[in-house]
This record gives sequence, structure tokens and C-alpha cells, in this order.
Amino acid sequence: MGDHLIAVENTDRVHNMVVCTLCSCYPWEVLGLPPVWYKSAPYRSRAVKDPRGVLTDFGVALPKDTEIRVWDSTAETRFLVLPMRPAGAEGWSEERLASLVTRDSMIGTGLPRRPQDDVA
Amino acid sequence: MNGVHDMGGMDGFGKVEPEANEPVFHSAWEARVMAMNRALGATGEWNIDMSRFSLESLRPDVYLASSYYRKWFLGLERRLLERDLIAEDEIASGHALRAGKPLKRKFTTADIGRVLTRGSYGRPATAPARFKPGDRVRARNINPTTHTRLPRYVRGHTGIVERVQGCHVFPDTAAIGKGEHPQWLYTVCFDARELWGDDADPTVTVSVEAFEPYLESA
Repeated sequence: MGDHLIAVENTDRVHNMVVCTLCSCYPWEVLGLPPVWYKSAPYRSRAVKDPRGVLTDFGVALPKDTEIRVWDSTAETRFLVLPMRPAGAEGWSEERLASLVTRDSMIGTGLPRRPQDDVA
Repeated sequence: MNGVHDMGGMDGFGKVEPEANEPVFHSAWEARVMAMNRALGATGEWNIDMSRFSLESLRPDVYLASSYYRKWFLGLERRLLERDLIAEDEIASGHALRAGKPLKRKFTTADIGRVLTRGSYGRPATAPARFKPGDRVRARNINPTTHTRLPRYVRGHTGIVERVQGCHVFPDTAAIGKGEHPQWLYTVCFDARELWGDDADPTVTVSVEAFEPYLESA
């Protein structure tokens, strides 16, 4: 693995989102090859100027006062979002929590699944 | 270079359209292009910054109209042509027309693990870091016609150094064969209103990874 993989933590105050405006830098050792949308002009152009609008495209609406922190991967550092533990998952084991984590929630364009989505 | 690849802040590209259950590759040729890039990258004929520069150097209309792997393919073709490893008539005919030029290194299956591992670009520091976390810095207004990793949308704007990421290969020189010249790398955080004006969302901040030569004290 290349060096400098940095995890950035989502909290109830801050939501992190990762982009590469110049090309397609992505933590693919961990997440696999990036999806087409991550490498596309709409995402690369808008993520740094209108991140809330981009989140809307993903069906994600954050509270108006949540800070949004966008990380543009312009060097060989790579970023991975640590999603926030959803309500109802208090006391869950690491393995059970992992079942709620999605790829998009680690890019910051999605939220983890909720415990009530996990009943199946 | 101020190319169309430098997309941060551009308007008019429309909505982001995620694809449900997206396959890793949409056609077999995409996987082949990926493999060709890895295998030829392993020959040491170019570095990652030269690869990026070759994609940025595609004609703007070609860059915008080509899919991701099509751009990879065209960039690879360009790098091979530039180094006389292939010729135009060979591309046209679809096969080799003369004895191949020796490569710096030859890719074998023993290299697979190595080429699928991202390279390491951290280097020992040759001078102390000029900035520290909390420093106010301005992204310099530079407009090189060659490769740079300082996006246009931050140039001339003031931000705060948030992290010092160590010393790394400097893409601006590595991309044009002028050596690694390792430089300190910083995470610099900008308020959206500084970048996009007073109407911007006050809850948004954007950071870039900026090499020391991109920055000046503010």
C-alpha cells in the first residue's frame, strides 16, 4: 500500500467528502476501483463548489448547520471517510457495524445504512 | 497546465448520476486497458506524473468526450509514441512493423504484486518545513503550461495550514523529467466564501494538498 492513507471522521457536526478534481485519485487499495461517477466531470466540478447539491444527487440531505468538509486529493495522500455510527447501533460489535458501512459512506457521498434497514 | 482536466468549480456538467450495481468494468476492453497501463507502467519508461500529464495533454474536446478508460488508452498511446516504442503506422496497421525498442525493464508476472501496489512518494526532507499548522497561507498565482497539482480554483486564495504531510516527490518537476525535487506537502483548508464569494455556503470548507512551492505566507 502507498503511504499516507488518512481516515477522516464524520461526527454530528462535520461531514467529510472526498474528491479528486484533477483526475481520479482514490483509495483503491481499500475501496477497489472507483465508480464511474467519481471520475466524471459532474462530480469533479461540483464537489468543491456545491457539495450539498452533489449530496442531493445521492439522496442525502444533511442538517443545514452541519459543516461540510471537502478533501480534494491533489497529491499522493488518500482519504477515507469514517462514517458516523447511526442511531440505534450503540453497543454494536465491530463486525455488526461493518455490515452498515457502504462504499459511498466511505467516500462521503452516502450515509451508512441504518440498523432498521438491516433486519433481513 | 490550465487544461479542462482542472474541473473544480466548473458549471454546466449536470447532475452526478450514480449507477446502481455498477460493474467493475463495463466492457472487456476497459480491463485490458487497465492491465496494459499497469504492465507498461512497470517498465519504468515513465512515472505517475508523466502519465497524468499525458492525459491532461489530450485535446480538450477529446478529453471531455472520452470515457475514463478511453482517456487512459489515448494517454498510453501518446506516451508510447513519444518514446518511439510504437509508431503511427503500427497503430494504423494494428500490429508491430519493426523490431521493438528495448524497454528499461521488462514486465513479468512476478511484478504483478508490485504494480498493483500504489507507489510510495514520501522522501526524506532536505530542509525544514516553512509552514506549520495554523499558518495563514496564500496559494500562489502560478500558471505553468506544464503539469501542476495546484488547481486553478484555489490560486490567489488564502487558507489555513491544517496538517504537514511530510516531504513528497514534486509532481511539477517529475512530470517533465526534471527529477523528484521532494517538497513539503501541506493540507491547506479554505473557506468556501473565500473561494466562491460571499454567496457561498458558510458551512463548507475545502482543502487541497499543496506542495510548499505552491504557497506563500499571507
